[in-house]
Amino acid sequence: MTENTITLVSFVLTLMVFSYLLGDAPLIGNLYRVAVYIFVGMTAAFTLIVSYEGLILPYLQDIQDQSSAWTTLGWRADIYIFFTALLFALLLLLKPFKPLAWLTNSAFAVVIVVGAAVGVVGALNGTVFPLLHAAVALPEDLSADFGALVDTLLIFVGTMTALYTFHYQARAGADGAEEESRIGRGFRHIGKVFLVTTLGAIYASTLLTSLTILTERIGFLFQFGA
Amino acid sequence: MGRGQRFGTALSAFVAFVIGIITALSLLLGDNPALFGNQPGSDQLAGLLAVPADVLLRLVVIVLALSIVIGIANLLYVHVGRLSRGKLTSAVVLVSFGFTIYWYVARQGDASLLEAVQVPIESALAALLALSLLHGGSRVLSKRADIWGLLFVAVAVVVLLASLPLAELAPVQAWRDWLMRVPVGAGARALLLGIALGTVVTGLRALLGQDRSVRG
Repeated sequence: MTENTITLVSFVLTLMVFSYLLGDAPLIGNLYRVAVYIFVGMTAAFTLIVSYEGLILPYLQDIQDQSSAWTTLGWRADIYIFFTALLFALLLLLKPFKPLAWLTNSAFAVVIVVGAAVGVVGALNGTVFPLLHAAVALPEDLSADFGALVDTLLIFVGTMTALYTFHYQARAGADGAEEESRIGRGFRHIGKVFLVTTLGAIYASTLLTSLTILTERIGFLFQFGA
Repeated sequence: MGRGQRFGTALSAFVAFVIGIITALSLLLGDNPALFGNQPGSDQLAGLLAVPADVLLRLVVIVLALSIVIGIANLLYVHVGRLSRGKLTSAVVLVSFGFTIYWYVARQGDASLLEAVQVPIESALAALLALSLLHGGSRVLSKRADIWGLLFVAVAVVVLLASLPLAELAPVQAWRDWLMRVPVGAGARALLLGIALGTVVTGLRALLGQDRSVRG
């Protein structure tokens, strides 16, 4: 595709997406929908291409190559793994048949528990332990930089109180209504300050990113028009 | 549910539980000889313990790749059904899908279609996000004019002002840097820890067979 064609197609599609701003006007209202449907079809096609070329085809080539093996169990084990995966995928197709749905659920269950195991180990090793370690890490020389010590304490207090905000605990009061302790409410308020500050900063950063893209798109439209 | 189906469901939940525990243990203990000290044979033992996770992960990756293909086939099937009911917009999805596959195969891996169609649509959609965000921000002030709404908007304004390349705003930029390093750092850590702890709890529920998706 030539550079000019790419630019022309980009221009038309950008206008089609921006037609969303004009609302549900007759004819124009459909342009946004058509652009999104083109996007869906193309994304599905590229996803299929990537999963075939990046995963399925290399695996098919690997099981025909006796000199290489995925695991220490050898090449023959690769064939068993591949055909077991193929069987699992076929079981997924049985979902519409109610009496055999448990077979589909069994295949799903294996996928889910392996994913869950990876998720648990990954979350513990990759997030929980390193972040807890970073939250309580003190500066090396406490006397040299008092500001750094205060910042570290603030980070620690902020992390813990913000985590506390996710947890809710109350007891029944004398009149039966739920009642939260004053300390708990205090922790929750401090944590909320840190969380709202974080969400405000994330909001501003996302806004900046999308504004940059908007400026680039508008610049492109004007450049093409000129 | 018949007795045979109940037995099948219980059996699959048990098998899933065993497989989950084996995978988790294999991931934790495998390929880590330091866990077994500097004794002879610790390398082989660690390698051996990593095999179940290797096999199961490979199996799941292939199943997921094939389920993507099944998912896309289902998408096309749904749109063919919609088209037969007279929904013409579904024809756009089908034509766009077919044309992309044809283009990629006929042009032997030419990805210029990605540059001409997908990138501009994604960029334009991301640009529209700016307007939605601005609309949402204005609603925070009009609908939730309490201390939390004001704090949210104040922080957003500080971060936005500090992004301007003006020398007069140097104090605001210093303040933004401190905000990002300390309170935002703490809040982001708490959010990430919350997500990670949620993942651990949900994962453990699935591993222990308490999740509906595993029980069938």
